[in-house]
Amino acid sequence: MEVQDKELEVRGLNFYYGSVHALKNINLPVYRHSVTALIGPSGCGKTTLLRCFNRMHDLYPGNRYEGEIIFEGKNILSPDIDLIDLRSRIGMVFQKPTPFPMSIFDNIAYGLKLRGIKRRTELSERVERALRHAALWDEVKDKLNEPAYSLSGGQQQRLVIARALAVEPEVLLFDEPTSALDPISTAKIEELAVELKREVTIIIVTHNMQQAARISDWTGFLMLGELIEFDRTDKIFTSPSQKLTEDYITGRFG
Amino acid sequence: MTVESRRRLMNNIALALSSLAALTGLFWLVFILLDVLINGIRGINLSLFLEDPAPPGIQGGGLRNAFVGQLMITLFATLIGVPLGVLGGTFLAEYARGRRISRVISIVSDIMVSVPSIVVGTFVYALMVKPLGHFNGWAGAVALAIIMIPVVLRTTEDMLGMVPWTLREAAFALGAPYYKVILQVVYRGASTGILTGVLLSIARVAGETAPLLFTSFNNSFFTWNMNEPVSSLTVTIFQYAMGPYEDWHTQAWAASLIITLFVLFITILGRLILKWRFGGSAR
Ligand SMILES: Nc1ncnc2c1ncn2[C@@H]1O[C@H](COP(=O)(O)OP(=O)(O)OP(=O)(O)O)[C@@H](O)[C@H]1O
Ligand SMILES: [Mg+2]
Repeated sequence: MEVQDKELEVRGLNFYYGSVHALKNINLPVYRHSVTALIGPSGCGKTTLLRCFNRMHDLYPGNRYEGEIIFEGKNILSPDIDLIDLRSRIGMVFQKPTPFPMSIFDNIAYGLKLRGIKRRTELSERVERALRHAALWDEVKDKLNEPAYSLSGGQQQRLVIARALAVEPEVLLFDEPTSALDPISTAKIEELAVELKREVTIIIVTHNMQQAARISDWTGFLMLGELIEFDRTDKIFTSPSQKLTEDYITGRFG
Repeated sequence: MTVESRRRLMNNIALALSSLAALTGLFWLVFILLDVLINGIRGINLSLFLEDPAPPGIQGGGLRNAFVGQLMITLFATLIGVPLGVLGGTFLAEYARGRRISRVISIVSDIMVSVPSIVVGTFVYALMVKPLGHFNGWAGAVALAIIMIPVVLRTTEDMLGMVPWTLREAAFALGAPYYKVILQVVYRGASTGILTGVLLSIARVAGETAPLLFTSFNNSFFTWNMNEPVSSLTVTIFQYAMGPYEDWHTQAWAASLIITLFVLFITILGRLILKWRFGGSAR
């Protein structure tokens, strides 16, 4: 692989839930148009780290960041960042599918309408593009006006991905996106992630070691709020340089 | 006697007693409803709805003024009470979630639900009737609205609380500001539940007499003017039932039947909506 640009760079990041010190001095590059996996035992801070990238922690009082995350030359942790703009460029997909209680079409159009796109033709066009992108178009094109709840779990998750894609983000954050899905739906989402990295940068939290190995280019291993090791995925899974990483990957704990 | 047979005996006694209690309650309920039905149906005819009351002691006439008055007062009570209740519930569930003020307001609102309605009536009397010097329809609407607010507020709070938090986060993650998240996502998710609460609160106030007696009072003439005393079914029932004329009694029965059916209809509608939404396939 050629030398890659950094889409994001985490520098000296500490994060606190009130007095709980959840992330300790994290330093981590995220390369453009690659898939970066975050792995580690339960409670090690994977979700916490992921939610720093779109400042989700700002929703709750008492949370505090220290350090920097550089995105396009700017520190996105600085207080004067426009969160609406940030969140349209760094999208997020959650563990459980989160379709809104509205039609399939309106779900996808939601982010577009937030950005002031109102013309019906443009909306339809971009909704279709997003759905094709998320490999869902053929399954839903005849029922765009039906409620999103009528879809299966796997379809809902792809709908949510399409919703995030519709606003054309640069980065997509996935927090265990397949842990609530059956194997076939999981395979579809994994395929999609690999497909999507041509256009977006992907960071994915997963508990599934095979999944990380299958779809990611880079892997970060966290433990107790610290980044133990970060390297190319094949390196991490074949010859990790840290004993802890090796123990975790071979299933000795976690 | 063995332990087992003693247990069985106790069980049978408990079963018998509680069945008896349930049957007693049910008996009186059915008795009252049948009584209202049988006596009420005799008084129902077209002129009941189309004519205003005849002068006392004169045969005939109807209760058009009371039907229209009741609808007006209930409508304005809903227009005042529902927005306040929904906004209050939204404040508690969204903006004050987990804060102490939210607990305090919830408890106060639960107390308000059980305040005797006549107290609300006298309160509004002091506020809106005494200073003006005459009974008026607005005071009646406000009194009923005050009774509605805590019901709507608590339902709204509960229903918003049932919308999964991840749904809000998903909207935030798309860059939506909080008010849009509430208006476009959370309300939509909770709409049927809130609607049911609104319907039940209407059913709750439709049968109130005491608060209207002190506020909108009564009016033997037809009026659209909410600044005047406005007639209502419940106060009319009260007045006619106490009156000396056979004709009044018949009309009071008919009015009772109509209002019972109205409350029944609203309540069943509310239940149906709940069942349709949360019954078979919830999210
Ligand atoms: N809201 C919170 N307040 C206080 N502490 C929290 C909060 N959320 C998480 N933590 C703590 O921060 C640490 C990291 O949690 P996090 O959810 O990031 O772990 P995770 O790696 O995603 O775990 P899992 O694999 O189980 O999802 C844990 O010790 C957790 O207890
Ligand atoms: Mg997690």
